[in-house]
Amino acid sequence: MAKPKAEQSVLWLGIFASLTMIVALVFTAIFPAFNNRWSTNTQDGAEYFKTAKFDDKGAPNGGYTPLQEKGRLVYQREGCSYCHSQQIRPLKTEMIRYGIHTSPAPPADEREYIYDEPHFLGTKRNGPDLSRVAGKYSDDWQFSHLYNPQQMVPGSIMPAFKWLFSNANPADPSQTPVPSGECVALVAYLQTLGADRTVWDSKLNGGKGGYRPWLLPQDKQNSLQESQSAVNRAERPVHAPRM
Amino acid sequence: MAVQQIMQIAPTDAGERIRHSDDAAKWWVGVSLFNVILFGVLGLIAAIKMVMPGLFDGVSWLSWARVRPAHVNGVVFGWLVPIAIGLFQYFIPRLSGTTLYSEKIPKISLVFWQIGVLIGTISLLNPWGGELEAGTLNPWLMTKGKEWEDYNVISNVFITIGLLGIDYNVFRTIAKRRYRQIYVATWYAVGMILWTSLVYVIGNWPGQQIDWTLHNYFGQDGLPHFGFTGSNDMNVNWFYGHSIVGLVATPGAIALAYYFLPKSINAPLYSHKLSIIGFWTLGAIYFWVGAHHMIYGPIPYWLQTVATVFSFLLFIPVAAAVINFLGTARGEWHQLRYNVPFKFFMAATVMYALVSSQGSFEALRPVQAVVHFTDYTIGHAHLALFGFATMFAFGAVIYAAPRMWRRPLYSEGMAEWSFWLAFIGITVYVLSLTVGGIYQGKLWMDYPHMPFIETVVKMTPFWHARAGGGLLMVLSMVLVAFNVYKTATTPAPVDEASTATPTLAAVAG
Repeated sequence: MAKPKAEQSVLWLGIFASLTMIVALVFTAIFPAFNNRWSTNTQDGAEYFKTAKFDDKGAPNGGYTPLQEKGRLVYQREGCSYCHSQQIRPLKTEMIRYGIHTSPAPPADEREYIYDEPHFLGTKRNGPDLSRVAGKYSDDWQFSHLYNPQQMVPGSIMPAFKWLFSNANPADPSQTPVPSGECVALVAYLQTLGADRTVWDSKLNGGKGGYRPWLLPQDKQNSLQESQSAVNRAERPVHAPRM
Repeated sequence: MAVQQIMQIAPTDAGERIRHSDDAAKWWVGVSLFNVILFGVLGLIAAIKMVMPGLFDGVSWLSWARVRPAHVNGVVFGWLVPIAIGLFQYFIPRLSGTTLYSEKIPKISLVFWQIGVLIGTISLLNPWGGELEAGTLNPWLMTKGKEWEDYNVISNVFITIGLLGIDYNVFRTIAKRRYRQIYVATWYAVGMILWTSLVYVIGNWPGQQIDWTLHNYFGQDGLPHFGFTGSNDMNVNWFYGHSIVGLVATPGAIALAYYFLPKSINAPLYSHKLSIIGFWTLGAIYFWVGAHHMIYGPIPYWLQTVATVFSFLLFIPVAAAVINFLGTARGEWHQLRYNVPFKFFMAATVMYALVSSQGSFEALRPVQAVVHFTDYTIGHAHLALFGFATMFAFGAVIYAAPRMWRRPLYSEGMAEWSFWLAFIGITVYVLSLTVGGIYQGKLWMDYPHMPFIETVVKMTPFWHARAGGGLLMVLSMVLVAFNVYKTATTPAPVDEASTATPTLAAVAG
């Protein structure tokens, strides 16, 4: 009997088919992982996060307080990331859209995400991007919006997360819904998104450059005041924060 | 040479006369057809909720963001992979000139598999108790929270066991084949189950769960951790996610096409060599393109460029398959008038060519800047997984069901209807989302000061059209499943020539 040709051997088929995967895995998944911007324990990452408050050991790998970490789990369970991305692309239009007042949003940086497990970067925007949402709305606005999105943003298609509130009885308007612990945690997490984001400013330190928070204090103050006044209003106020 | 080759391939003994029981194939096909309706309806609910956000208001487990991943994972792991595996067990024994190694192993695998899919779906809908009945917050029991990796770890274990059983059985079947030549459909089938097994284990690594347990129960903080984080996690996520589309759904559907297309029109394959080129370029190129889901994202620039370049190289395997299918159909186009499986195959071939070209161009940075994050991608994904993979599977099921159950198809007219519903449904769906996606992307691009909600409200007409297209697609699924069900359960017509001994009267009459 003639020796089988390679084309007739299921063993060689299996070996080569596995090889195609392994080669690509090494080059596109393993090799890029030796990237000092993707890890918590490199000089680059440590330097970057020096200004932020990240010493709480709430998360398995640091970075979030226990409350914020619980909020991340709620975010994960409710599938927020299927509709809301968490990455600003380095496109001018996107930086303007997701900025606050005079501060355009800085584009996403690998180092922002080094504590995120799992990642929530997302691929679809049924709703707006959330990676710079911290400080844009007050906690009260977020609670009202989670309870009834259509009331806060007419025309919204977001589901109402009524199961995150107790005493939620829509038939009785006198009762105020109380956010549950999960809801409080979720909003605590939302208020971390981009809050301590630092940007490189070449004008700092006498032209040598340095990191500074991206949000100017007055911008933060203005947006919070506006969202506070918008709480529980049936119609969108004229000067509502843009999203 | 040709004669020699045919002599080598042709059955030397009673190969063709083996009576295949097809039991395992019937089980897998039946369960997949149940799943396609279940998860198709979940998708329809999600589509309707886009235009009626108040639907099922306050029901936590029918919230949009829980239904959506249940639909996405369900149609792939509950329908596309099982239907491909089911029909592999129909054609691999026939192409190998032998019976299945075991009829029992695939049935046990199916039980594991289906339990895995159901557990995974429940973990996504997450109706379990907990604080305020909102669902559990335990990461072992709930979603893993990443696209295509959403099923929880318990579900992953069940599905992996099912997958290993199928791997073992298929390899043992091929090992005892009597035709030395391995036909290309078997190549793709082996590639599909092998690649599925490899990427499934890599993609579903429970890093977050292990770290969570170590942290909460053993008080371990900081490094070392076992999961991937941030951009690294996303990179692994999309290496896996694109492999699910490109190396699970695609080779599964192409394997079905390479067997059932020539069979259904009774014509020889156009080119064996072309199909082999297509197979190896598919394997060598498709694994590299995952990063094109993150163009402009927080990953290295070179990685994005590599993904774009490889996305364009994908024209090679796509052209190989499409030319081969069209070449096989050459001279047989008149069969389109009456041959329903052939209609499905040809429509799917055209959609494969369309969706792959669309995908290659979508990976370009200027295009991606506009269409990324919009519904354009959703239309693209449905053109791939419904227009291409599901249409091939529907054609193959309609061709194989009468032969598995050895009965005529219950209704040719119903099969015809299922084709046109599927074809019109997917066309409406993809056109509305493609146009709508570009429209919304241009609004975002050109009007940075337009409030986001206005761009959402402007999408409503497109979402209405999408829900309508989705309804037609679900109807076609119901018709295919009902047709196969009736084919399987209608008693076979009494064939006197084969069952009864011919009496003198019959012979004389």
